[in-house]
Amino acid sequence: MTSVQITGTMLFQLVVSGLLAGGLYALVALGLSLIFGVMRVINIAHGTLLMLGAYTTYWLFALAGMNPFVSLVVSIPILFVVGAILQKLFVHRVVNAPELSSLLLTFGISIFIANVAMLAWSADYRSVEFLTGSFLLGPIALSKPRLVSFCVALALTGLAFVFLHRTKTGKAIRATSQHRDVAQVCGINVRRIDLITFGLGAALAGAGGSLVSVMFAVYPEMGQVYVFKSFLVIVLGGAGNYPGAFFGGLLLGLVEGLASLFLTAQLSEVIAYILLVIVLLVRPTGLLGGRA
Amino acid sequence: MKRHWFGALLVAAMVAGLATSPAAQELKVGASISLTGTYAKPGKYTQEGYLLCEKEINDKGGLLGRKVRFIIYDDKSEPPTAIKLYEKLITEDKVELVLGPYSSPVTNAASTVSEKYKKLMMATLAATTSIWERGFKYLVMTISPAEVYLEGLVDLAVERGLKTIAVINEDTLFSKAAAKGTIELAKKKGVQVVFHEAYPKGTTDFSALLIKIKSLNPDVIAAGSYFDDAVATTRQMKELDVNPRMYGVTVGGDLPEFYQLLGKTAEFVYGSSQWEKSLPYPGIKEFVANYEKMWNREPVYHSAAAYGGCQIYAEAVRRANSLDSDKLREQLLKLKVSTAFGDYQVDERGFQIAHKMVLHQWQDGKKVTVWPAAVAEGKPLYPTPPWQRR
Repeated sequence: MTSVQITGTMLFQLVVSGLLAGGLYALVALGLSLIFGVMRVINIAHGTLLMLGAYTTYWLFALAGMNPFVSLVVSIPILFVVGAILQKLFVHRVVNAPELSSLLLTFGISIFIANVAMLAWSADYRSVEFLTGSFLLGPIALSKPRLVSFCVALALTGLAFVFLHRTKTGKAIRATSQHRDVAQVCGINVRRIDLITFGLGAALAGAGGSLVSVMFAVYPEMGQVYVFKSFLVIVLGGAGNYPGAFFGGLLLGLVEGLASLFLTAQLSEVIAYILLVIVLLVRPTGLLGGRA
Repeated sequence: MKRHWFGALLVAAMVAGLATSPAAQELKVGASISLTGTYAKPGKYTQEGYLLCEKEINDKGGLLGRKVRFIIYDDKSEPPTAIKLYEKLITEDKVELVLGPYSSPVTNAASTVSEKYKKLMMATLAATTSIWERGFKYLVMTISPAEVYLEGLVDLAVERGLKTIAVINEDTLFSKAAAKGTIELAKKKGVQVVFHEAYPKGTTDFSALLIKIKSLNPDVIAAGSYFDDAVATTRQMKELDVNPRMYGVTVGGDLPEFYQLLGKTAEFVYGSSQWEKSLPYPGIKEFVANYEKMWNREPVYHSAAAYGGCQIYAEAVRRANSLDSDKLREQLLKLKVSTAFGDYQVDERGFQIAHKMVLHQWQDGKKVTVWPAAVAEGKPLYPTPPWQRR
C-alpha cells in the first residue's frame, strides 16, 4: 500500500475546506459566547437549538420546497422566540448563579428537547438535497453547498457584529456583558437584555443549523458535536471575547482540516480535544485574551 | 369503598385471565430491529420481510398447529439496546423462537443473549464471518458473508484492466470485514491497494478522506458502508470532484432511497446485493407480488433475506416437529434448500456456504444487475464519466 503523498494542491484544498467549516463554527460559537458573556450561563442546549434550526429548514424544504437559504428568514425568528421562551421560563433562574447550575439546567433542557425531537421525527438521518457539486478552480474543488453556507455564515456573523456595535440594544448587550451591575445602574434593563441575548444566541444557533442541514445529515442528536466545538472555539478565542469567537472558529476549522491530512479519520477527531487541553494549560484566558 | 375497589380489580383480573388463555396457544416469535437510527432504512425492510413471513405462515395454518405472533421492538440501531430487548423478549415476553435483528454489530451483541438462554437465533441479516467464529451453538446464518460483498466490483475492475483501488469503511464489524475481504480479493487478483482508511460510525463529513483519495487518483473506490454514509460519501465525492472509473458501495446502494435522495448523482454507482427480484429463484415471483401487495413498495434484499431466513426457520420447525433448540439446530445444519432468497446451506458452525451475491449499477434511475454474467440483466456502463461532464 503506498502512503499518501502530501502535495501543495492537497494542502491548499484542505485549508480551504477547513476554513469553510470554520466559518460555520464561528457563527455557532458566537451565539454561545454572547450568552456566556452576558449571563455567565453555559448553554449546553446550544446544539439542540441548532438541531431545531436544521429541522425547520428540512421540513420547509421537504414539505414546501423552500430554498434552504431562504428558510433562514423563518428559522432565525423561530429560534429567537424559542430562546426567549427558554430564558423567560427557566434560564433567568440561573443567571449569575454558580456555573454548575446553568450547566445542569441547560443539560436537562437539551436532553428533553432532543428526546421530544426523537419521538416526533424519529432518529432517521435526513438530508436536504438542494445544492450539490462543486466549483472547480484548477485542481481545487469548492463544494457549492459549503461555499454558500460559509458566505451566509460570514454575512450573519458580520450582521451580528454590526448589531452589537452600532445599535443601542447591541451596545447595551456589550455593556451588560462588561459589567452587569454598572449597566443596571446606568439604566439598562438587564432582564430585557438577558431575554434578547438568549434569543439572539438561539437564533445564531438556529441559523447555524439551517446552514449545516445543506451539507450534512439532519437528525435529533446532530447538535452535540457543535456544542463541543463551540466550547472549544470559545476557549481558543477567550470566553466572552466576541471577535475571539470568530477567529477561534476559523482556527478550529483549519486545525481540523490539517490534522486530517496527517492522521486517520478516527484520530483527527481527537486533535480538537488535545488542542483544548493545551490551550487551557498554556493560556487559560484564550489566545486573544478573554474575560476571567 | 375500599372493598368495591378490590372487587373490581379481582373481576378485571379474571376477565384479563380469560382473555389471555386462548392467546397462550399462540407461538410467540421475537426480534428487535433497527426501526430508527442509522440502520433504520434497511431495518424497516427487514421488518416488512418478517411480517410477510408471519402472515404467510398463519395463512397456511400456523406452525405445529399454532398461530404464530411476531413481537418486534425497535433497538434504535444500538447493540446495547438490542441486548436489553432480547433479554426482555426471552424472559418477560417468553417468546419461543427468536429471529435475528438487522446488521452485524447488532446481531453480534444480541446473539450473546440468545446463546445464554439456549434459544436458536436465525440470524437473517448478519454477514460478518467473525460472528460465527466465536463458537456459538445456537446461531444460524442466512446471507453471504461480508468478505465477498464487493467481489463483483473487483472482478469487473480486473476484466477492464484496472490497476489501483482505494478502500474506505465504517469502523464497525461488518464494514471492516467487507473492506478486509475486498482488499484480499484485490491483492489476489493483482490490483494494487493504494489507500485504506476507516472512519467512525456517525461520520457525516468525509472531505478529508476524499481529498486524500483524490490525490492518489485510484481507478476504483470501494466503500464498506451502510446507508447514511454511502449517501454522504457519494454526495461529497461530487462536491470534491473525485473521479474514479468505478465506485462501489456495500450496503445502501441497493435501496431505492439511495436514488431518491441522490437523484442523478447516484448514476453509475455500483452496489452489491444479496438478492435482486430478477433472479431465477423458486417462488420469487410470488414473493415479490405478495410483498408489493402488503407494503405498497418493492422488496429489496433485506426484505428477501428476512423473509427467506424466516421461511427456512419455519421449515426446520416443521421437520423437527419441535421447538427444542438442539433439534432445530440439527435440522438447520442438515437442511439444503432454495427459497425466494436463493440457496441455503450452512456448515457445522451455522455459517452460510451456499448463498450467492450479485452486483448492480444505477443506470437511468434503475438498478441493473451487471455481475455475475450468468444472471446479469445488462452490461456495466463503463467508465464512470467525470462529474463535470455529467
